[in-house]
Amino acid sequence: MLAQQLVNGLMLGSVYALVAVAFTLTMGILKFLNFSIPGIFMIAGMCTWAMLKGGASLLVAIPAVLLLGALLSYGVERVTWRQMRGGDRFVPLVSSMAFLILLENLALIAWGSDQQRLILPFQSTSARIGDVVVGVPQLVGLALAVAVVWTLDRVLRRTRIGRAVRSIAEDAETATLLGVAVDRVVPLVFAIGGIFTALAGVLFSLNYQQASPFMGEEVALKGISAMVVGGMGNIWGAILGGLAIGVVETAAIHWFGARAVDIAVYGMLLAILFGRPTGLLGGDLAKGRA
Amino acid sequence: MNARPILALEAVSKSFGGLRVIEALSFAVLPGERVALIGPNGAGKTTAFDLITGVYPVDAGRILLDGADITRLPARKRIRAGLARTFQNIRLLPHLTVLENAMVAQYARSPSATGMLEPVNLTGNNRWRREARAALGEAGLAQYAEEPTGGMPYGIQKRIELVRALLAHPRVLLLDEPAAGLNPAETEALAAQLERISAQGVTLLVIEHDMHFIGAFCRRVVVLNFGCKIAECDPDAVGDDPRVREAYLGADTGLEAAHAA
Amino acid sequence: MSGYLEGVLVVLAINVILAYAAFLPIVAGQLNLGIAGFMATGAYLSAYLTNAHGWLPLPAALAATILTAALGLVVAFPILRTRGIYLALATFAFGQVVVATILNLDAVGGAAGYPVATHLGFPAIAAAAAIVFVTLYCLFHTRFGLSVTAVSDDELVADQMGLSVRGLQTAAFTIGAGVAGLAGALQAHHFNYIEAQHFNVLLSIYVVLYVLLGGTQTIYGPLLGAAVFTLLPEVLRGSAQWRYVIFAALILALMTWRPQGVVTRGLLRRLVEWRRPSPAEAA
Repeated sequence: MLAQQLVNGLMLGSVYALVAVAFTLTMGILKFLNFSIPGIFMIAGMCTWAMLKGGASLLVAIPAVLLLGALLSYGVERVTWRQMRGGDRFVPLVSSMAFLILLENLALIAWGSDQQRLILPFQSTSARIGDVVVGVPQLVGLALAVAVVWTLDRVLRRTRIGRAVRSIAEDAETATLLGVAVDRVVPLVFAIGGIFTALAGVLFSLNYQQASPFMGEEVALKGISAMVVGGMGNIWGAILGGLAIGVVETAAIHWFGARAVDIAVYGMLLAILFGRPTGLLGGDLAKGRA
Repeated sequence: MNARPILALEAVSKSFGGLRVIEALSFAVLPGERVALIGPNGAGKTTAFDLITGVYPVDAGRILLDGADITRLPARKRIRAGLARTFQNIRLLPHLTVLENAMVAQYARSPSATGMLEPVNLTGNNRWRREARAALGEAGLAQYAEEPTGGMPYGIQKRIELVRALLAHPRVLLLDEPAAGLNPAETEALAAQLERISAQGVTLLVIEHDMHFIGAFCRRVVVLNFGCKIAECDPDAVGDDPRVREAYLGADTGLEAAHAA
Repeated sequence: MSGYLEGVLVVLAINVILAYAAFLPIVAGQLNLGIAGFMATGAYLSAYLTNAHGWLPLPAALAATILTAALGLVVAFPILRTRGIYLALATFAFGQVVVATILNLDAVGGAAGYPVATHLGFPAIAAAAAIVFVTLYCLFHTRFGLSVTAVSDDELVADQMGLSVRGLQTAAFTIGAGVAGLAGALQAHHFNYIEAQHFNVLLSIYVVLYVLLGGTQTIYGPLLGAAVFTLLPEVLRGSAQWRYVIFAALILALMTWRPQGVVTRGLLRRLVEWRRPSPAEAA
């Protein structure tokens, strides 16, 4: 029983982990809390549903949605971050919140407020490991999440572009003076975050076969908690935090019911902010302790 | 010395990380004195000010204001006790007008709930407003009263900072490079203003590099280097002190070159 | 007055009160994303006092305001050890926890919502909004308003100039919490029904956004922000969603070109000068 809950928690956690990575990228590099991420998560999930409903195959839908996520995120960068560097420090946050409102309400206009059910174009199979049942799609999702984050970590630590990103995290002005094309690297970071977010949205909607215009608020917002718990600016912290939040949420539902979830998840966020604001892993994107 | 010093540092030390920035610094300032604190860049002069006004706690030693030990006193209570300062890099408040910037320090004279609820901006004729306006007028800044502080010329901003500090009615005024960046006319006006302030009995401790300014104005000079006091004498003798020469220029060169520069 | 118009004005009055609840902390440099949590606290406390203990609505609302302010004071101690984005995050988390906690309290209806027995009509609510405005107007124009702005501009200088940074921040946060609680209590008694899900983070976001839209440099900004946010759908006659889309677009435009908000000190001065010609012009 316990093992099953743990596994369920880890599956859910892989979605949170991806969202947390998206949050932690802009938070660690730009000190920017990007509230548009839940909006992009939701659009990804809803579009996946819409495309599948329209008869598209997964091979078409998934890349399309990922691309959409990257584009949306790039759009956010152009309208919020690009314009507002150097202004009041809350301006980018405020603009990102406006984006969340924009996306959520556009979705409501387009699709109404009902929760939609996804019809999977494939047979959902389960694997059995000992006493534990795991959905194969969910397992794939977890593996994908870990793989994608591992790749990102390697890119950040071993490649030139990764060094450029980390130099911006340390000091954007100096990075510019040293020749880093900040104006090209930052949009790339946003786009990557957008892809991660969209991937999370796709995985969630496929794994749980549901999508709604409120899924950003209800699901992705917990990614913030995951980011902080793991350590802001720390990629592996985001994975750890995501998995932790997933497990905590599943355990809370199992033992206390669905109404306890937010208390547990956001209570953890509050506790970390008060007790250990650097998070479980601490760390600093700039220092390469990813 | 028969009189009790109004400001005294006793063996004050401070480190940041592993770096010792102030080493067993001791000096005293008598009431009404005009003392200059000089030294090469990085000698610790502004840090000394920061320790005196409570920006940082000391690691060792004591700071006494008119005999009272203020070493552990929180910064906000030090200005209330009569210790005000200006800043090397001007720190005016961008979202307040010039007049309001000046008024901020008045609270130090009536630090209470009633003081906080004074309707200073409610009616045009509040006494604190009038007093601040008069102070700005005396400093020749009356026309800037309602202007935002951003974008003001450097010399004007410096003078506003001085008015602000004065409105706390300090007994001891710490000035961090008040003449830096001022043209000769402004420097002369500053000197005249400081004379007036000193004549009212305010003790002045000034960080400066301009030796002419110091020579004309201060009676005594305390020289710092690497966080230690290396000399203490009157302005005329400072140039001859070998330790001071060495600090500024390396050994065996005269301070006359620095004078001429 | 038609029932419809009255309904709109009630919502406007409550939004104005909420605006001022967010305004004071913002002036102090605090972005309170948990304001909905304080609103919920006030709403449920006031409703509970009238439902379970037979209080009259006005005393209940007053008590709820004070109790919510007390909660704000308690929460301020840990929360104000954080700054900037961490503070925003902490208030966000707090707001979520409050609402989630209320959802679990079956004594006040839990997830099903909580009907409220007693009613407050438009006159009471309008009066409350007026009182809030006048009180905050006066407060803003005392040394407190000046000092709170100073603290948000430069904490070090404020401290050096004799201000109690912690005290001022706590006061701003606490007052904001109390005023939000008042808004919640009034909402509970006018609509005679509250549900915890209503007081979510998006509500906090809307309030903060329309206050920033109005502008936080003067006392009039929040008034304008609340008015724009409330009256936009009336003007546009679109669906509720389109109103939010337009609102979001307005915010994005504003943050790009005029991040200080619509009503600034400069604008206010120019308006005053325009209506009262200078002596030179009058001559």
